[in-house]
Amino acid sequence: MTTFLLIVHGLLAVALLGSITHQAISVLVPARKTADSFVGRVRAVSAPSYVSAIIVLYVTTAILGGIIYGEYRMAVRVVLEQLDLWKANGAFELKEHFVALGLGMLPAYWSFWRQPLAESETRARAVITATFAFIVWWSFLVGHILNNIRGFGS
Amino acid sequence: MTVSRSFHSSAVVFTVVYSVSYLIAVQNNYALFTYHPALEEFGPLVQPPRDGPAMYWYGWMATAALVAFVAAALARFMPERLARRLWSGWSWAVPIASMVVFSYMLSGFFTR
Repeated sequence: MTTFLLIVHGLLAVALLGSITHQAISVLVPARKTADSFVGRVRAVSAPSYVSAIIVLYVTTAILGGIIYGEYRMAVRVVLEQLDLWKANGAFELKEHFVALGLGMLPAYWSFWRQPLAESETRARAVITATFAFIVWWSFLVGHILNNIRGFGS
Repeated sequence: MTVSRSFHSSAVVFTVVYSVSYLIAVQNNYALFTYHPALEEFGPLVQPPRDGPAMYWYGWMATAALVAFVAAALARFMPERLARRLWSGWSWAVPIASMVVFSYMLSGFFTR
């Protein structure tokens, strides 16, 4: 069951990674002319249309991560300590705190992105989106690396 | 759908208070409840490990969410004049500062 939940957790994380990356790019380096290339089209996506999906994916991925966290604490972290893999252990500790802080940022994130978009909040909207992108990328990479070190069921 | 100024202020207050509360909860271990993964049991407040490790992470988040929810509810009654003066940048500055503090707190993992 844990392996199944881990796979679903990973798949949702991939969707979240794609969504938040699209949104962050379109906010940080918006397209200034008609998109005629792959990069141009990435920059030209409609950033507000990602908000609901990002919130639902973030919460769902975090909940699933929270469910399998107990198994990680019992079966994986102990092994990391025995193998003296302190950097991997520390990276996961940071992940849990970053994700928790991200959950607390969701109301402000949602409020900044509600229509009509306030011109005065452009910078706050960009920074909070970039922060979310950082949290999601960090969490994804750390989760991926730890799963490579010791996947569930191994 | 438009968002009222008071709701926006509440959202900013929630994020700011949550970030600070979470940091304090972790630092001082103010967990609203404890999870014992070996027993698959929850217990109220901070409890010592039983038949395996004790997990406080869920409890820290619950503590921070509770405090932030109360603060955000109170912020709904903030005078309009005050709400307009609330810098929305706090909603990213405080969480980022908290992330930096956590990185410093956990730097021992990367230097040993």
